[in-house]
Amino acid sequence: MPAVIVALAVVFGSINPNFWSATNLANVSRQMSILALLALGQTFAILSGGIDLSVGSMLALVSVVCAQQMKVYGLAAGIAAGVLAGGLTGLANGLIIAKARVPPFIATLGMLVAARGAALTLSGGLPIAGLPRQFLTLGAGYIGPFPIPTVIAVAAFALAHVILSRTLFGRYVYAMGSNEEAAVLSGINVANYKMLVYVTSGLFAGLAGVILTARVISGQPTLGEVQELYSIAAVVIGGGRISGGVGGVGTTLMGVLVLGILGNGLNLVQVSSYIQNIVIGAIIVGAVWIDLARERRR
Amino acid sequence: MKERIERRGALIALAAVVILGCGRGTQPSQDVSPGVTPVPSADVAATAAVTEYARPAKPSRQYRIGVAIPHLSNPHYVGQAYGYIDEAQALGAQVTLLEAGGYQYLDKQVAQVEDLIASKVDAIILAAISGPGTVSAVEEAVAAGIPVINVNVMTDSDQVVARIRSDDDVIGRMQADFMGDRLKGAGNVVMLRGAPGTSWAEIRGNAFRKRVAEKYPNVKILGEQYSQSTPVDGLRLMEDFLQTFPQITGVYNGADSTAVGAAQAIASAGKAGSIVITATDFQPDTEKFIREGVITASVLQQTVTMGRWGVRAAINHLEKKQVPPVLFTGLVLATKENVGTLDLSTVRAPDGWKPPSR
Repeated sequence: MPAVIVALAVVFGSINPNFWSATNLANVSRQMSILALLALGQTFAILSGGIDLSVGSMLALVSVVCAQQMKVYGLAAGIAAGVLAGGLTGLANGLIIAKARVPPFIATLGMLVAARGAALTLSGGLPIAGLPRQFLTLGAGYIGPFPIPTVIAVAAFALAHVILSRTLFGRYVYAMGSNEEAAVLSGINVANYKMLVYVTSGLFAGLAGVILTARVISGQPTLGEVQELYSIAAVVIGGGRISGGVGGVGTTLMGVLVLGILGNGLNLVQVSSYIQNIVIGAIIVGAVWIDLARERRR
Repeated sequence: MKERIERRGALIALAAVVILGCGRGTQPSQDVSPGVTPVPSADVAATAAVTEYARPAKPSRQYRIGVAIPHLSNPHYVGQAYGYIDEAQALGAQVTLLEAGGYQYLDKQVAQVEDLIASKVDAIILAAISGPGTVSAVEEAVAAGIPVINVNVMTDSDQVVARIRSDDDVIGRMQADFMGDRLKGAGNVVMLRGAPGTSWAEIRGNAFRKRVAEKYPNVKILGEQYSQSTPVDGLRLMEDFLQTFPQITGVYNGADSTAVGAAQAIASAGKAGSIVITATDFQPDTEKFIREGVITASVLQQTVTMGRWGVRAAINHLEKKQVPPVLFTGLVLATKENVGTLDLSTVRAPDGWKPPSR
């Protein structure tokens, strides 16, 4: 997979040298940060043997809640409310999945529709403008040469890596995804950890939603459409198994890089956006197919 | 040849002003720039400032212009795309045209503008998906030394070089006047406003409401809905409106994409012709419905001209020439009576023209 990324970068760079410019590298990394955060949450959901289809709609709900609270209570409260809205939506997913035992696909599919509806209801369908200018810094600012969303995404990757590889919770996520029955039999409180999985996914979506809101300095109830599908694609392109138990932060990073570089690079080399969709679709399937073929040969 | 078509379009628009411009005058819009002379507009079919914005001399340099538009899935934006591309060709400029896939993909449009900045185009022309939502992207471009010109749909930023659009205020008033007169001053109207957060949906809808309230106190506005402004949205919303308010006698549409859907809903309900439908723009389905008397009237925007003027303004600015901060392209009201005689060369792309897919 790293070879594919290098190949893509070389091809785009040779057609449009601006691809390698510092401006564009900052640009592409910033564009990727939203997908990266969503994909990290999705990694937890998929690794545990589930899925979270609601992350795209959550972006919209978070954006609206964040903007509305920010207008009343100020910058910090708005950011906190946004992240919290993500966490709480995740908790609702978790309760429905772990306690009511609705399959994750159905539970989060319901939330996909409901969260979008909540975003539209709260906002009346209209964008919420008039947020403080300082908020823009979160979306458009830099720390040294690095865009702030990029720095946050990198920090989130490090955090997720530590959680998955060094904590009990992380190990249980893999255990649940590999064999849920075995996990239950070995005494893991599967229900509680499942809830924690969806809360984690919700919190990452909350963070992504707040950053996206800052990037467009307005609350937007239509944000994030089809982003849940890209987050799933990012997880599986890098080698994460869709049925759970296999994958991790590293493979998700690969998937995010492929999708991010493709999206930006195809724009830079002026491929029409209709054709872009075909290319991206083919690469999602192709990458997983190659991965499976290699696994079978082993 | 193109010059001639242009001039003919302007002439016909001008003729419309002359023919229709003899009723009571309305106040010209507030944001008319000093460089643009407002033409006093008429009662039913008012027309905004019809000025010619002439093609500049071909510059010695080949400029690269990035264009970002909401989508390419209706004839309105296809016509605009034709305007950008054809005008750029005439002026020796190279156009990179990016479309976001629909009014719901603000995040994608922001990324596209950033990609245009990264590929160091000379100027960016933006038809914004959201007025507030594209502010940061526009300001980022300006900070990188790339001028931004708004065409058709505006960004809520004072950093854009020029704004080229229809006088949306007049569009709203034209629909209100037509609706009020057709309903003989009394009726029940619903509004399909269009995409939330876009300048066109806001200005047109507000102007319609204001004008109806002032001039036709017995025309009641029963409800309004925003949508992503596609025929499917129009169909669905209108079906529901017909259930909620069986007494509807008029439907306002911020754009004709919803009108086409609404017309289908109304025709299926057996009410074709008995409900006044007004719209903006002139896609082939709209034309068909006007000929059949299902859609009653539509305000034609010169979307091809918008594209052309966008490129002209960009080149003038890059050549260090003064560009007026606001330019209004002309408007004509189409009804069943005049539908056969309209000049469409500034309204639609030529038959069979397709946006390039590289």
